[in-house]
Parts: sequence; C-alpha cells; structure tokens
Amino acid sequence: MTDTATFDGNGHRALAGRQPDWSFRYWIIAPAILLMLAIGLFPLIYALIVSFQGLTMLDNDTSFQGFANYAQLFKDLRLWQSLAHTLLITVIALPVELVLGLAMAYLFLERLPGRQLFVSLLVMPCVISPIVAGATWRLMFDNRYGPINQILGWFAGHPVPALWTVNPKLVYPAIVFCEIWQWTPFMFLILLAALSNVDKSQLEAAEIDGAGFWRVFRRIVLPAIWPVMAVALLIRGLDLVRIFDIIWALTSGGPGTMTETISIYTYVQGFRQFEVSYTAAMAFLVIVILTVIVIAVIRRTGLVK
Amino acid sequence: MHFSKFIPLAVASAMAFGAAASAWAESAAERAVNEAKKYAGTTITIVWEAGLQSLDPLNFSGPKWKELTGIDVKVVEVSTAEMFTKIMQDYRSGASAYDALNVIPAWMPDLAQAGALEVLDPYVDKYGFRDELQNIAPTYRDNQMMVDGKIYGFPDDGDVFLMYYRKDIFGDANLQAEYKAQTGNDLKVPTTWADFDSVGQFLTDKLAPNTYGAAFFRQPPYTMYMFQERFRVEGGKFFDADTMKATINSDIGVQVLTAMRDENKFMPPGVETFGFVENLAAFLQGQTAMTISWPPYGRWAAGYGTDEAVLSWVPKSTIAGKVGYALPPGGHPELAAGFALSVSSTSKNKDAAYLFIQWLNSEDVSLQRVQLPYALRDPFRNSHFTSPEYLAKWPDAGAYLAALQEGSKTGLLDLSLLQTDKYEEVLRQAISKLWAGDDPKAILDTAAAEWDAITAKIGVDKQKAVYGSWAAKSGAYPKM
Repeated sequence: MTDTATFDGNGHRALAGRQPDWSFRYWIIAPAILLMLAIGLFPLIYALIVSFQGLTMLDNDTSFQGFANYAQLFKDLRLWQSLAHTLLITVIALPVELVLGLAMAYLFLERLPGRQLFVSLLVMPCVISPIVAGATWRLMFDNRYGPINQILGWFAGHPVPALWTVNPKLVYPAIVFCEIWQWTPFMFLILLAALSNVDKSQLEAAEIDGAGFWRVFRRIVLPAIWPVMAVALLIRGLDLVRIFDIIWALTSGGPGTMTETISIYTYVQGFRQFEVSYTAAMAFLVIVILTVIVIAVIRRTGLVK
Repeated sequence: MHFSKFIPLAVASAMAFGAAASAWAESAAERAVNEAKKYAGTTITIVWEAGLQSLDPLNFSGPKWKELTGIDVKVVEVSTAEMFTKIMQDYRSGASAYDALNVIPAWMPDLAQAGALEVLDPYVDKYGFRDELQNIAPTYRDNQMMVDGKIYGFPDDGDVFLMYYRKDIFGDANLQAEYKAQTGNDLKVPTTWADFDSVGQFLTDKLAPNTYGAAFFRQPPYTMYMFQERFRVEGGKFFDADTMKATINSDIGVQVLTAMRDENKFMPPGVETFGFVENLAAFLQGQTAMTISWPPYGRWAAGYGTDEAVLSWVPKSTIAGKVGYALPPGGHPELAAGFALSVSSTSKNKDAAYLFIQWLNSEDVSLQRVQLPYALRDPFRNSHFTSPEYLAKWPDAGAYLAALQEGSKTGLLDLSLLQTDKYEEVLRQAISKLWAGDDPKAILDTAAAEWDAITAKIGVDKQKAVYGSWAAKSGAYPKM
C-alpha cells in the first residue's frame, strides 16, 4: 500500500483519513514541564511571598510587611561583607582553576602510556563530597598533627606551627587551595575534551607555517574551545558563588565572619536564627544578582545565539 | 444516729486510701513502667545528641524500656548544632516527627515561647513525680526545669566545668620549693585567676615542652562558655537590668578577654585550635598540668570506661591515679549546656513519651545511666554523688563526685534569653576574632553593639522580662 501522506501549508505530514494532532508533542512533554514548574517555580513564588512577610523564630506574622525586609538588606553590612568574601574567592579561584586545568589538559592531550589511569586518578578530588574534602583538609591543616605543617617544617628546617584555620592571613589561602585542589580536575576534564576536538589539520598547517605556540593558541585553539570553556567557567563560577561545604568544614565562616560567604550567612540567618522572611529576601537578592551576571556572561560570550 | 450508715463509707474510704498508698509506695520508675504498659506496641521517637550520648538510649535505656513496657524507642540522632533547628522545624511544620526531646536548658525560653514544648506539670502530678524531682541537685533543679513557673523539662545531665589537675606535679617537692622561693606563695591548685596565671606560667617555664602549665579548649563554641563563667566570676553583668544595654564591654569584660588571650602564651603552641578532643588528648597524654572541661574528662583520665570499643578514640590515659579534681578559679563553674528531657507539644503519644522520660530521669534508672562507661550523662541527682556503687568505680571517684557535687551547688547558668543563640553567636565570633589578633576592647564594643541591636529587634521590654526572670535565678550570678 502506498503512503498516501499529504502535507499541509506548514509542511507537516498527515496520514490520509486522519487529522494531524499537532498538540501531541506538547502533551508528551507536559508532565515533565509541570513537574519542573512544581518543583522549581512553586518554591520560588512561595519564597517571594514569604519575603514580604514577618516570619521569625518568635513571630508567625504572615501579614504583608511591605519592603521592610528588602530595605533591611541594604543596611545589613554583614550581608555585603559576605558577598565580598564570595567574590574574592571566586575571582582568585576561578582563573587559577582555568589556567591549571588547561595546562593539565595540554599535558594529557598526547596519547601517552598510562594516560587513562592518570586521568582517572587526577579526577578523583571532584568525586569526593565537598564537606568530606573540607573535613579532611582541616585535619591535614591541623597545626599539631597535620602533615602540611610537618612537610613545611622539613623544608624550613624548623617547626612551622601555622594556624591555617585561625590566622587571618592564612585562612583564605587555605580555603582557596582546597577549592582549587578539588575542582581543577573538573576544568581539566572539560577542557581535555574540548582540546581533543580541535581541528588537527589547522594545527598542523599552522605548525608548517611556523606559527609559535601562543599564536596558535590565540588564533586557532582558543576560538575552537571557547564555547566549551565559557560553559565550564559559567558552571564553576556559579559553584563558587554558592560555596559552602569546604568553608564550613574548615573555618565555619571564621575567624569572626572573615570567611563567611553568602551561602553561609544565608544558612546562619535562615536555619540557625530562623529569620525566615529576611532570609527569603536575601535569597532573592542573590537570585537577582546572579541572573544579571549570567545573562551578561551569556550575551558577552555568545553562548546562546 | 445510726453509725452503721457510715460503715460502708468508712470501708470505701479505707480501701481508697490503701490503694492510693500502695500506688504511691512504688517508685517513680516502677509507676512509669506500669502506666506505660497500656501503650505497648506503640513507637515513640526521641531526639538525642548524636554520638556517644545516644548510646544510652540505643544500647541501654531504649532496649530496657521495650522489654519492660513493650514500647519501641526510636532514637533520632542529631548533632547539637542542629538540634534546636530540627526541633523548631518539626514544630513549625507540624510534622510531629518527635515525641520526646533532649533540650539544652538555655533554649527553653525560646522553645517554650514558641510553643514547641509540652507543659509537664499535669503529667508530673498525674504520675506522681514531684517528690523525685525535688531530689535533683539544686542548681539543675531550680534553674533548668522551668520557664515562668511551669515545668518544661527534667534536668538530665549534670554538665559542669571542673578543673582537672596533675596531683603529682602540684605535689612535687622541688617545684613547690621553687615556686615558694619565686613568689612567696605555696604551689597549689589556683582558686583565683590571678593565681592561675602565676601557676600556669611557672609550670610552663619549668616543664615545657614536655608539659605545659595548662591548656583549655579555645574553639569558639566551647570558649564562649568559659568567657560567660569568667566574666561573671570577676564581677561582670551581661546587661544593665534597667535599660537592657549590654555591658559585656565593661572594663571587666576587656580584662577577661585580654587575660584569656595572654594565657595562650603559656599554653601549648596552637592552643587556639584546641577543641574538646585536642584538649583531652593533651591532658591525657600528660602534656598539660591543668585543664577545665566537662565531667567525662575526669572519668576518662582515671581510665574509667575507656576500654569500651566506642571509646577507642580516647587516647589512653598516661595519668590515671595522678588526677585531682577542683572547682575552676573563682569557685563558680559554668554549667555549660547540659540536657533536659522534654515532650514535644505536637507529639501524638504524649503520655507514652512523658512516661519514658519520667522513667529515664527517675532515681533508680538515672543512677544506672550516669554510670554507663560509654555514655556522656553526668551525675545530676543528690543520690548520684553519694552512690556507693559509683564511689567504688575507681580510687579517686569519691573526690570526683565531691567536686561535681560542689559544682552543682555553686554552678553558674548559661545565659538564657529569647533567641539566646543570636547572643551566643556574637560571643563565638568575639572569641574567634580574639584568636585572630583583634583588640579585646574593639571586639567587645562591637559585640555589645550587636547585642543591643538583637535586643532592640526582639523588643527591649520583652527581653527585659525574660532577662529579669533569668537573672533572679540562684545560679545566674555568683553571690559576691
């Protein structure tokens, strides 16, 4: 039997004798969309409503409080300090992870013996739970029993009783080091995949023409891997903005509030001190800031055309 | 008058009196068991501190209760840092996941105000527990049981900071002679903080690096309690009772914080990072001559219980038999946390939950529980301190219990207000900044301002009433 298919003005195919059900595709994905909306949108709207109420530990006031909570945000010095701490960690850790990840990717680009094994081992840190990694590093940094100070002492020739989680000059290096140790492998994996897909014929042609490494990297490699690199930077950047586990395990935001990030401050306000409505307002402030950043990054990097 | 009419009444009265008399003749523990049998087959959930504390209901009291009453006890282990949050979340959400609770007494005003705790007075009277409650050591009984005159919890853990010291070091004739020659005073366990500084520095000068004069835990959550104690012992008041302005930044506060910082100089290097375990290890391994901590240090230093598998992480004591017990300098130790047993106001098994906590807290059962080698419940009833069974546990147990009993009489309550954790958080951060090198005066000025801001947000009058109620308690401030 021959296919008696006909086509409508939109080029859609319909079988003879049957009206095309153009809405079928939407019905198929509707459950998934509804579920995502329920899980994602409902809490967002509910949190927005709560942010205009007066819910605290002592008060179940659900009446509309106006913009009181949002006005409080701008007077809350500790909030802005926590954002600054978050930004500091992000601007230091992100470029370092990128450069190290890229260097490692280049190192493992060639097919060397044992390459797969080494790659597997290198990726191990990002498989570990961040809170476990933080707790382990806290032991490593222990001034009496930790190996870090012991190794430093070998090189220095005398004991090095550095207080990595207490000394204001050392806490940030400790945190950033742990963060870079754990997540550079993520960058490495992504960039290795990206580098592997660069057109080799272009690289060879450039080599024949006598182009140096940096010229080849700038003119051929970087444009080729840029979309993937941009996504990796965006993902890691967002991860760094919401950093919590490693810092909580290492310093709990201390000394004082010196290493308190926005996630830690939000946790303390919301779950320790039950400033429910204020915390919801804080969360929305962060959402707004992140949304602006993400949109700017996406537009600037051309990730979405 | 026909007296025969009164005979049935007299007989009935006599029978009723006899029945009541026999009912009350049984102990509170027995009564709880007998009453609880009608709830056999139910399961009650109790929130308990995770770790060693929860081995009590998991290994001892839970299985025993099940055997006696047929009621299952499900233990929900929660870290102390999360316990308040979990209890409030359960209450606010109406989930009713918990029946009985472990509550740190300083939280009681917040939890009671929020409505999360069941008032226990009706149950206490119904099941005849008032008499046994009176036998709880005074400081715990009078200060950790009630809010606004109503019972919300049964004090169930005699937490108190004691000083533990090396008898052999203090008894060393050469050290005694040298100290006398140097200072003109006898080398003895310090009773004032000035003495402590003098003795601590001397011992470090003489014995370091093998042994230091002292070490304390310095991590903020613990040191916050030590600041509370020392500040009050030196004469400080947390607030101006009339204005509710914070006065922790007084000269006394600055002096205390400065002294705490300066004392690190004769303590082991890195003492700023010492927590419960680090400080314990240093003392048990003979690296410090004095320390202050909760009661388990005293038991474990004597080697009691450390053969238990669950205590294998405790360093083996090298100082068993050499440990003395005393009150910290000033003679008014901080009660430092502690636990009370409560019933959740949203529990669906309130009577069953109440009967379990009555049984746990009773004279008979609590004595067994505080002697469990692996658990962390410390003596809190008068009978615990004089128990022949406990006194026989190790040679110096008598001195240990005597010191605990003295501490239970003179102990200082943790500050307990509305939203206590906010005030404590400020203190924790202050301690943290101290170790980071900030100026004590600046630290306390900031802390006082933050306390004032918290008070203003809660409501000055509201907080003043709660503070007034707390400050009126016998254990709030030392009697000078």
